[in-house]
Amino acid sequence: MSPPPSPASAPGPASGPAHNPSLPPEPPRLPDPRWYERLNVLNVSLLLFLLACFASAPALRGSGRELDYAGNLKRFLGYFFPPDLSVWPETLRALGETAQIAVMATAFAIVIALPLGVAGARTLSPAWLVGAARMTLNGIRTVPSLIWALIGVAIVGANPLAGVIGLTFYSVGYLGKFFSDAFESVDMEIARGLRAIGAGRIQAFQHGVWPHAKPLVWSYVLWMIEYNLRSAAIIGYVGAGGLGVQLAGYQEYYQWEKFATVLLFILVLVTALDFLGEWIRGRITRKLTRVRS
Amino acid sequence: MTAVATPLPHIAARGLGLMRGDRWLFRGLDLDVPRGTFVAVVGPSGVGKSSFLACLAGLLPPSEGHVELYDRAGRCHAPAAVRGSTGVVFQNNLLVPTSTLLNNVLCGRLGRHPWWRTLIGFPRAERETAYRILCDLGLGTKVNRWVCETSGGEQQRTAIARALLQEPDLYLADEPVSNLDAYLTGRVLGILRQEAAQRGRTVFCVLHNAELVERFAEFVLSFDSAGDGAWKLRKVSHA
Repeated sequence: MSPPPSPASAPGPASGPAHNPSLPPEPPRLPDPRWYERLNVLNVSLLLFLLACFASAPALRGSGRELDYAGNLKRFLGYFFPPDLSVWPETLRALGETAQIAVMATAFAIVIALPLGVAGARTLSPAWLVGAARMTLNGIRTVPSLIWALIGVAIVGANPLAGVIGLTFYSVGYLGKFFSDAFESVDMEIARGLRAIGAGRIQAFQHGVWPHAKPLVWSYVLWMIEYNLRSAAIIGYVGAGGLGVQLAGYQEYYQWEKFATVLLFILVLVTALDFLGEWIRGRITRKLTRVRS
Repeated sequence: MTAVATPLPHIAARGLGLMRGDRWLFRGLDLDVPRGTFVAVVGPSGVGKSSFLACLAGLLPPSEGHVELYDRAGRCHAPAAVRGSTGVVFQNNLLVPTSTLLNNVLCGRLGRHPWWRTLIGFPRAERETAYRILCDLGLGTKVNRWVCETSGGEQQRTAIARALLQEPDLYLADEPVSNLDAYLTGRVLGILRQEAAQRGRTVFCVLHNAELVERFAEFVLSFDSAGDGAWKLRKVSHA
């Protein structure tokens, strides 16, 4: 086996036999990346996704029967119009209940997720605690909100409290993870500086970490409230109170025009919250941008 | 070598040395600094001025030797044991950017309260004192601004105010006037000098301006960049 060519013997403008020393050397040519240099995480994952798309094509087969898809869609949507607005009083009441479920669940989730977030932050807790906290949070997140609501119904019966319990657990999984990330994004040098001038560990967190993480934490909380409002409208399907109970009832009796009214209310609420949340988050982000610069 | 002869030292360094890589930043440093002395620490960048202050604060263990801090009753302490009575003005200020100037200044008093007390806020009297100090440093109108909304000079003054509110026995100020104009520089160093002369608080202050050193310091501790850990201490003769 011959040894690999050394860089000095490799062909190139500076070392080629035709190079005239009286002429200025040619600038080096940009080399093409080798095939394995293109295999970065982004490209590989994109490739895997494309392969997964091909492998998932059978999901598009449907029932195999000859159906008029467009006609079906048109007929079904036709049931929704015009929406029956006469049900607005009970829809408004259910909407209020949905909002109450979402707010209470988020509030309880904040209380539970904060210590879990601290425990799951690598910059604040020992490795064994971080591992335990993150595993717990991952476990909670794997269970969908509807299943948590079912568990809630099994515990306290079919009422809004079941919704609060279900969404609380569901939100803890997400908020705990978000809070951990928020705490980890904080520059710990400031907390160490406070320790250097006599602050205790809790005080260093309270004054050196928390004020920095707070805007981010609050931004996540706002997102969670929005998310819980959407979820709270669905969990009623399993009896956990709110708009979902109404939706399930109207669906059962094919009262699609009333169903449409409930959807309309949800749309208005979620859109309004989306705008409000976006505005608040925008202001927070602008302040944080100033911090980073 | 005992550099500053004193009957009752506040800070004593015994054979203090610190290595970085294979280079001695300073070595064989012996100091007996009496209470209420203003010591200027000088030298080119990278010679170990900040590291020396970190050793005095107990934030960096020396490679050899040790530092002793004596309280007013004459008891000896390791620097790490008396952090609450050491006021540090860090080179990069280390303020909380998303907290107000007032809250950052109040952090100087954290060592005096249990955590549950500061959880519900600081005592009214301390808030008033913090406000007065901020007013003294020309920041009275900005007390409720977030740190990230203020200029570099204002942040530096806030860091100084935090140390002043702490009322420590020992000030360790790492380039505390690097972002200040001539008037504020004189004002800040004057306050530190006053703290030393009138209240018996020892000040170690990293400075780069020779004129300021001669005007405010009583002793100058200088490091050189030769890498052999050489240092020199001299008394400033005020005209």
